[in-house]
Amino acid sequence: MSNSYPTSTLDSALEIPANTLLSVRNLQTHFFSREGTVKAVDGVTFDVKQGEILGIAGESGCGKSVTSQSIMRILPKNAKIVGGEILYNHQGQFIDLTTVEPDGKMIRGIRGKEIAMIFQEPMTAFSPVHTIGNQIIETIRIHQPMSQEEARAKAIEMLYRVGMPNPGRNIDQYTFNLSGGMRQRAMVALALSCQPKLLIADEPTTAVDVTIQAQILRLLREIQADLGMAIIMITHDLGVIAELTDRVLIMYLGKEVEYGPVKNVFHHPRHPYTRGLLASIPKMVPGRIEIEPIEGSVPSPYAMPTGCKFHPRCRDFMRGVCEVSEPPLIPIAPGHEVSCYLYGGREERA
Amino acid sequence: MTAPTIPHGKAGSSNERVIISVRNLVKYFPIEAGFLRRQVGLVKAVDDVSFDLVEGETLALVGESGCGKTTTSRCVIQALKPTAGQVLFQMDGTPAVDLTQLDKKALKVARRNIRMIYQDPYSSLNPRMTLLQIIGEPLVINRAVKGRAELEERVAELLRMVRLDPGAMNRYPHAFSGGQRQRIAIARALSLSPKVVIADEAVSALDVSVQAQILNLLKELQKELGLTYLFVAHNLAVVKYEADRVAVMYAGKIVETAETEALYITPKHPYTEALLSAAPNPDPDTRNRPRIVLTGDVADAGNLPTGCAFHPRCQYAQDRCRQETPELVNVANAGEPAHLSACHFAKELELVGIVATVGEARNG
Repeated sequence: MSNSYPTSTLDSALEIPANTLLSVRNLQTHFFSREGTVKAVDGVTFDVKQGEILGIAGESGCGKSVTSQSIMRILPKNAKIVGGEILYNHQGQFIDLTTVEPDGKMIRGIRGKEIAMIFQEPMTAFSPVHTIGNQIIETIRIHQPMSQEEARAKAIEMLYRVGMPNPGRNIDQYTFNLSGGMRQRAMVALALSCQPKLLIADEPTTAVDVTIQAQILRLLREIQADLGMAIIMITHDLGVIAELTDRVLIMYLGKEVEYGPVKNVFHHPRHPYTRGLLASIPKMVPGRIEIEPIEGSVPSPYAMPTGCKFHPRCRDFMRGVCEVSEPPLIPIAPGHEVSCYLYGGREERA
Repeated sequence: MTAPTIPHGKAGSSNERVIISVRNLVKYFPIEAGFLRRQVGLVKAVDDVSFDLVEGETLALVGESGCGKTTTSRCVIQALKPTAGQVLFQMDGTPAVDLTQLDKKALKVARRNIRMIYQDPYSSLNPRMTLLQIIGEPLVINRAVKGRAELEERVAELLRMVRLDPGAMNRYPHAFSGGQRQRIAIARALSLSPKVVIADEAVSALDVSVQAQILNLLKELQKELGLTYLFVAHNLAVVKYEADRVAVMYAGKIVETAETEALYITPKHPYTEALLSAAPNPDPDTRNRPRIVLTGDVADAGNLPTGCAFHPRCQYAQDRCRQETPELVNVANAGEPAHLSACHFAKELELVGIVATVGEARNG
């Protein structure tokens, strides 16, 4: 029965390079409520190669977390994937995760084992009434045939790996015994306990202090190099993106704005939104610094602008173009795409 | 008011005036346990903190969670009663008063001149009040306006000041975005034309594009109104942009204070060096820079290490640091603005600050 993969996706799967671990294509995840429909993710496309670190960045409401919840199939009840594909390379075969049962056997075999997740708040991952060791051991034994003793040894090894000060003792502690930084490490140990191929990190350093953030980022980098897994790093902090990722996807109001190698995007940002974001952050360099805010604020999800979602705040707004239709993704350089009429796409419109 | 004994940054110029002088401020919280709530220990949240706030400047208090920066700011405005110490406040042409000694009525008067802006504009604004009520409340309570017309006029002026449409004064906060709400909170703080504004993580909860708007607004308002800011923050890049002087706090004490540029380029305390090194930089070219990654967690204010509280995490720590608590002393060269450090080896260590990056031109 585990071979009954959905076949509808195989055609598109053929074009995917073999080293691709995850290919998200035109993903649309919408929320339905009495006030209306919120298109939280509305046509997002990206790939994650084996062993690479992809960053997804954007401000609140851009859909970066909903994207990760769609991949994990852990969306809230009022949210639904209404279109697109999430092709996951499962032992050489691509499975469309949008078509599997959200609590079925297939996704449960992948979630936690092959794709693991860490969160902003470690208490979302842990139960406060069980020891961290028991929770890690349980996860290991669900996915791998191991005895209690083997799993315990493995859990201690993972705690050691993430730099817990005293793994033999920490394993029998509860989350309330641990400091914020230690909880974060324990959560990383839990996520990595089954050697996932993909780790989704959703704002893992947002709630911790800057010195702890540096520890966690270094830990992720070391473990990524050791285990060769891929990471999707979701954050609003462009500093974290610059520190850690190979490639970056910038999102705004559920749309893909710019996508490319992190050095290209940071040194030669093309989309006015990306430029605006980078110009908004004060830099830590000597001398006087200037910052240039983006005008206005993110609109309400119930009152989405027409055309390009960024046009009401854009300083390069072109009347009669930007508010009329959505710009297509335009390739700028190898692997670097931008969704903006400044770079073409106006001809095809007519 | 005795002349301040602690030198402050702009020691060179003579026409500056200290508006708030915090002297040996101490705030301890008892740790209670058991049914009888017996006191079993003390959290030394703020432990002998002194600094001067010079009229018209922005002084930033930075540090990680639990360092005492917020407690310090709350003690300045007397939202928390300090355990010991003085908070001397001096308006132009009036004698200095110690805010810790004032009775309720006198404190209320003094507080017209010291206002606060909080981190979360979603919880700091009453959702059942209109902007007119929110911004006008301090004016009404302090009888600063006569009649409805004058109130509306003043609120409209305040809304224009924070770049909001005065026509919105009868609307409720839910109609506004996070950035706009923070503007409303600023308008409320400015309603009584205060001299000093304490901004406690005032931009931390905002998205970066909006954060930049509020940072610039605060700077503009300071210029227009001659405000003095005590800027409490944890984001070092934001502080670099906003502050004239910086005081770095660790475990309830100021460990270093200097003019912003000097503190960032030539830090004189190993903790400052580590903080600067740990801050993520939005430039992928600098990711392989040598970095100091501190081990362990921030010191527990309820159970402080002996000697220098930072010594268990300090890579330069020596025996002396474990035994002797360092004093905050001026380590600047003669003739230079004051640069205070609480490190036994501040003069010997060659600490690394921020450096210019080779980053290529943007938008290239």
